[in-house]
Amino acid sequence: MHIPDGYLSPAVVVATYAVALPLWAFGFKKLKEALNEETLPLIGALSALSFIIMMLNIPIPGGTSGHAVGAALIAILFNPWIAFIAISVVLLIQAVVFGDGGVSTFAANSLAMGFVGAFVGYYVFKMFKRYKFAPFLAGWSAVVASSFLVAFLLGIEPIFWSKNGTPLYFPFGLKETIPALVGAHMLFFGVVEALFTGLVYNYLKSKKAEFAQ
Amino acid sequence: MKKRVFIILGILTALIPLGLLTDSPAWGEWDKEYYKKILGFIPEGIEKAKEINAPLKDYSLNSLGDISSYYLSAIIGAVLIFMIFYFLAKVFHAKNS
Repeated sequence: MHIPDGYLSPAVVVATYAVALPLWAFGFKKLKEALNEETLPLIGALSALSFIIMMLNIPIPGGTSGHAVGAALIAILFNPWIAFIAISVVLLIQAVVFGDGGVSTFAANSLAMGFVGAFVGYYVFKMFKRYKFAPFLAGWSAVVASSFLVAFLLGIEPIFWSKNGTPLYFPFGLKETIPALVGAHMLFFGVVEALFTGLVYNYLKSKKAEFAQ
Repeated sequence: MKKRVFIILGILTALIPLGLLTDSPAWGEWDKEYYKKILGFIPEGIEKAKEINAPLKDYSLNSLGDISSYYLSAIIGAVLIFMIFYFLAKVFHAKNS
């Protein structure tokens, strides 16, 4: 889901940064309120955990691979704004240090994997909080929603930015991006994210952990 | 809860070489040759894309093998992320007082 540099037209790059900047500003305000001696190691560790699970690539049929993200877990443990900033920090390190995901597309990637993932995960969890499956469904919904935004941003490229019928940026339209990306996340990576979110959430929230605190 | 997060972080970091089991790229994250092969051309924007000079591009350190590179990348990335949050906490705290 990490969109590389050169895949999005300058107009979409500008638009995604314009949307992301005020959201980052507000997210930082929320982080500032939440960050203290008690939460700092926890937020740091959960962000590092997200970085680690994104390195665990899982192959799927059809010659591609993918990974879980971890936005939903942070969103339901803290709040979606913290999760958005945490995932943005992870994506920044991936782009700048490891060349994974572009710099021009950093805003688009943060909005998809961070913002959309965090908020969808958070609200799905809230809606089904009474049920045991809530964190699992939250994880699944979060990455599927994230993949939908990525599929949309990539898929509109050839529609609007082609010269004489030749695509200038990402060449495949919505008819290809939606089934390939959203489909793969519904069937495979969403399930991995569901298991990760649900199992880790239950483990962190189980009785023993509370006594140990 | 803190201790348990670190336990999970430790376990998943230990499992990091599993991420190398596949050579398949993510859908839509192909190298330029892929477009040449599939479309017969490389879209202009992708061809001319300016990529930044990432110091540890593709999670690899030239002098080390794949698995050690991936382990070291995981640790470097995790430490950098921690450092960013410690730095932010310091900045926020300095502003408050």
